Amino acid sequence: MSTIWIIAKGTFGEAMRRRILNVFLFVALALIIMAFAFSSFEPRQELVLIKGLGLSVILLAGVFISVILSINLLPIEIERRTIYSILSKPVQRYEFLCGKFLGGLLTVLANVGLMALAFIALLTIKEHSLDTSVIKGIVMNAFQLLMVCALGVTFSVMMTPFVNFFLTFSIYFLGSISTVWASLATDDGKHSLLTVYFFKFVHLTLPNFDNFNVQNSIIHPDVHITNEQVYIAQCIGYAIAYSAALLLVATFVFDRREV
Amino acid sequence: MAIEPTETPSTVVDRSRDLEAAAETAAVANEGYGKAIQIQNLVKRYKTVTAVNDISLDVYNGEIFGFLGPNGAGKTTTIKTLLGLIFPTSGQVTVLGKEAGDITVKEKISYLPESPYFYEHMSAREVVGFYGSLFGLSGAEKTKRVDMLLEQVGLQTDSRKPLRAFSKGMLQRVGIAQSLINDPKILFFDEPTSGLDPVAHRDIRNLILHLKSEGRTIFLSSHQLSDVELVCDRVSILNQGKIRRMGSVEDLIAGGNVEIIAENVASDDAKMALLKSMTSDIDVVGNKLIITASADTQTKNRVLDWVRAGNGDVLSVTQTRRTLEDIFYETVREGEIEAGTAFVTPSSTESMEVGN
Repeated sequence: MSTIWIIAKGTFGEAMRRRILNVFLFVALALIIMAFAFSSFEPRQELVLIKGLGLSVILLAGVFISVILSINLLPIEIERRTIYSILSKPVQRYEFLCGKFLGGLLTVLANVGLMALAFIALLTIKEHSLDTSVIKGIVMNAFQLLMVCALGVTFSVMMTPFVNFFLTFSIYFLGSISTVWASLATDDGKHSLLTVYFFKFVHLTLPNFDNFNVQNSIIHPDVHITNEQVYIAQCIGYAIAYSAALLLVATFVFDRREV
Repeated sequence: MAIEPTETPSTVVDRSRDLEAAAETAAVANEGYGKAIQIQNLVKRYKTVTAVNDISLDVYNGEIFGFLGPNGAGKTTTIKTLLGLIFPTSGQVTVLGKEAGDITVKEKISYLPESPYFYEHMSAREVVGFYGSLFGLSGAEKTKRVDMLLEQVGLQTDSRKPLRAFSKGMLQRVGIAQSLINDPKILFFDEPTSGLDPVAHRDIRNLILHLKSEGRTIFLSSHQLSDVELVCDRVSILNQGKIRRMGSVEDLIAGGNVEIIAENVASDDAKMALLKSMTSDIDVVGNKLIITASADTQTKNRVLDWVRAGNGDVLSVTQTRRTLEDIFYETVREGEIEAGTAFVTPSSTESMEVGN
């Protein structure tokens, strides 16, 4: 059994018992159930509203769970000194870091999975059929959370959880409005070249969470993505590549860090 | 009568010569045994603080090496360097002939941190198994090894309870079991008996002796000086990042102590500080001073000179056995005096004339 997987399993078992994460999970489940109480709209509007709200709640709860979990994965190990007994074993630092990340990600996915199951089940009962676009939305949410976890873990090797909390949330927020940076990065003659390059840099560097928000097409069925499968595959590829790059940076720093 | 301060440059040189001589004696005594650990001129600095200041020592295969020192002396920093958890600022650290932190070395060593914490959702069996998995153990082999170790540390009956239900002593036993999972050649124990009840304390002390009888090398950091005196072959005493004493326990406590009882000694802060620098303990009882110092002639005469310089009367001079605790206090005091941070007791802050 791979060392990364052994550490991931240990992390998952410990993280699933964190009460604060359970609070987010239960609040989110409650909100999802409450969304089904809408009855003052036309049936189509009502379903669109429920789908949009449900996906947003899952995403928001997922972001909170991801941030709170990922920023603490390493600091808690150092504070409790578990890291000493693990790193004094034949465990490479990258294995430890990746194991912690994978364990954290599994915890986030388990929580999102529970919320998604409840949401899809209630939606299917109401709609009398399974809406695959909602599943696509949940998958896209999950890959956003992959990047959020990678951000949290990467910053956790360099800074305190307090600073990391605000930084990861800020980056998530800024990445969620990446279309704004993209438009500012367009050389339309109104902005100086320096400004254009600055926003190009911001747009390219920040994780592009905006592209993952497929709720738009659910809420506005008239908006169509030309080749949805390719689009989703590109987004997933981007999330994996971005997270891998972040973890490489984290490994580089953690390898040289004293614990 | 002028009383010379004890820690002159010449005595500092003497002390470093003592350490070199102790190292040479150990090398001769352990000839034929390989070196399990070698530290050469290790320096570890954190920004402006020097945690470890140019220490050198060798630990031989099969010996129990006591690594002593007050809090903040640099013990844990040294152990962490040996484990590759932190990196030396300068100097060389090798474990089993390879650079500290080498992954192949980690296969053969083990570490028990002070007050170990484990994943609380796991049982003792799962924790020991978890660490076994990190060494590639699996299946029946892992189960057999885990069973054997839990039996050895007396946790077989509680092995399936979650750790959150365990007392500190039981957690320490889990820590010891996990530290033995890989059948290590070298064990680094950081305060293994800390916070244990007397029975658990004795059990772990016996276990350490048992591990030595199996030929393992043990690097033991502890504040339990009586344990160290009982189990260690050699010890080093670290203070303020430097090794102040090193040698076998017998050599360090050799010569014994002398207890001098004097009365009516005129003294002040400066004189008391001087006396403290020469002794391992001073008690003031009424108008009497009970002074404990090393029994070597030079120290004994200096203390007697100090009493006479204060117009005091010497009531008795009695030879007593020295303990490692005496050596430890002397060493710590020397370090404090060198650094100018000697703790002055309230009784000596005022000018005093005992009995007058």
